Amino acid sequence: MPELARLRPFVPVLSSILAVAAAFLSGALFLWLTGKDPGQAYAILLSRGLGSTLGITETLIKMAPLLLVSAGLLIALKASVWNIGIDGQFLIGASLAGILAPRLAGGVPLAGVLLLCAGAAFIGGAVWGVVPAALKVRYGLNEIITTIMMNYVAIYLTSWLVKGPFSDPSVVAPQMPTIPPEFRLPFLPFTRIHIGLLVGLVAVLLTYLMFRYGATGLALTILGHSRKAALHAGLPVNRLVALALLLSAGMAGLAGANDVLGVKGLFQGEWNPMYGLTAFALVFLARLNGLLVIPFAYFFAFLLFGGEAMARTARIPAYFVPLLEGLMLLFFAISTYLERRYRRGLEP
Amino acid sequence: MTAAQWQIFITALLSAGLIAAVPLLLAALGETFAERAGLLNLGLEGMLLSGAFAGFYAALTTQSMVAGLAAGTTTGLLLGLLFGFLAISLRVDQVIIGLGITLVAEGSTGFLFRDFYGQRFPTLTFSTAKVAVPWLSDLPILGPALFNQQPLVYLAWLLVVGCAFLLKHTRFGLEVRAAGESPLAADAAGVNVAQTRYLAIMIGGVMAGLGGAFLSVGDLNFFVPGMTVGQGFIAIAIAMLGKWQPYRVFFGALLFGTLRSLSTGLQIIGLDLRPEFVLMLPYIGIIVALIILARRTQLPAALGLPYERDQR
Repeated sequence: MPELARLRPFVPVLSSILAVAAAFLSGALFLWLTGKDPGQAYAILLSRGLGSTLGITETLIKMAPLLLVSAGLLIALKASVWNIGIDGQFLIGASLAGILAPRLAGGVPLAGVLLLCAGAAFIGGAVWGVVPAALKVRYGLNEIITTIMMNYVAIYLTSWLVKGPFSDPSVVAPQMPTIPPEFRLPFLPFTRIHIGLLVGLVAVLLTYLMFRYGATGLALTILGHSRKAALHAGLPVNRLVALALLLSAGMAGLAGANDVLGVKGLFQGEWNPMYGLTAFALVFLARLNGLLVIPFAYFFAFLLFGGEAMARTARIPAYFVPLLEGLMLLFFAISTYLERRYRRGLEP
Repeated sequence: MTAAQWQIFITALLSAGLIAAVPLLLAALGETFAERAGLLNLGLEGMLLSGAFAGFYAALTTQSMVAGLAAGTTTGLLLGLLFGFLAISLRVDQVIIGLGITLVAEGSTGFLFRDFYGQRFPTLTFSTAKVAVPWLSDLPILGPALFNQQPLVYLAWLLVVGCAFLLKHTRFGLEVRAAGESPLAADAAGVNVAQTRYLAIMIGGVMAGLGGAFLSVGDLNFFVPGMTVGQGFIAIAIAMLGKWQPYRVFFGALLFGTLRSLSTGLQIIGLDLRPEFVLMLPYIGIIVALIILARRTQLPAALGLPYERDQR
């Protein structure tokens, strides 16, 4: 079957695109069943997300945290480390930035505020990954359950921080003090897009280079394919597992600082964007490929913005976006089955 | 506190804990079958949540508790079949499917709730009557807590006994365990591995759906998006901590159910702890329990692995 064989290099990307298409079709069916007009809904999604400067700007702004969490998750998943604790690590990083920035502002120059907050958020997120990492390394405890449990601990801990010791007493709503606008992330020249986007792109590119050319990247990949092989090759398996989990957790914390310093300007109670499972759909559809993460991050940011537009104008609840993302994960799983069938079809 | 106050406190704590334990218990019992058969179902959280929504919707529409429980159970069964189809027939990664099902459940139940009720939060008005077991409910302290409960609580206890019997003393139970420990040997001995795993995940889905419906219909009388707050994941941990033995799973569920309902109990004895720290307890408790108990836990050998006949 020569025609089929020629398709081979494109199969992973093609099957991801098919999975996205299938998710949109099922989403349309869901909308139709609940009495909505799927055509109108998707038209709003497209026109708001791609048809206006505002849409494109907002999408690029929303891309920054997705790039950061995805770069981190990519590192973890390459090493077969299931970091499902991104939501918690994100909140810890975000709350640290929300606590530090208003207090440092004025006393320290802008660059100092930003660097200190970013550093604290990265370390805070990574610290949130220490418990699952230590338990996995020391006792062989699976990280899936422990990282999920840490999410809920983070939700309640930050909820206490924002209502209790670090609340802004001048307002009723639970929130931390607002960061003065001149101490937030500066914009890229000629745009309203803050430099978080650049940081996210650099993080993704560095991750890509690490796996393409770096020794650590190769070691993590070997570990991801087979723990046994990694042990036989004399790789420091425990240290690699911890590294993958902590880097990934730190990036999630950094994404939290990005949203507080660049987008929201403060840490609010009850705020939890839940990028964790979004990142899973994103990174799997990008086939664990650093370069493909960038267009898929744009696509998912476009969905987030379009989902808000749909909720405002077409009365389609914003929950439609997580529904679509979940469908994408399921159809991605099905596409891996089809791919396996295809590869077998090529065998003599 | 006087002795009488202590009695009231313990009775109230245990009574609330037994109710809060039911969703955890049912989900963990179902997961026991799935994991024993070699399936790690991270979709359990989504199955609980879907069961809670479907149960609430049906009960509110028909004003019938039984209809609510039936709707929740059916939803759980359908999601169990979906998981089974993807994991057993298509043999794709179980973690990805599990997370996918949970995300779909969070999105679709939130969507439908907002679409049906807007910003309103309707509640179920019919009362869930308690049934006192004669004589036993008059026992001091434990009596009113254990033997004055909703019928479904008693049913959950019966299910513990039933599941234990099924797993330990029947051919089906042995087939489930064999399918999880050594699908190859099971297959060679004439066990239909795929069929056994399908039955196990169907039991898992049904129990999670029923547990979710109990949460919204039997216990709280309302639904809010995301109301399961990780109880499905806690149930997975309870199944592991209980080493897949129904009686141990029962005590695990009771412990974590009590932790969940602790905030009310602490108010009774006048201890004013920040609610956030009380709400954190079950999750920290799971991590601590895993450290203490699960260090040397042997997972079923084929957990999470698909079984392919032609690859022998």
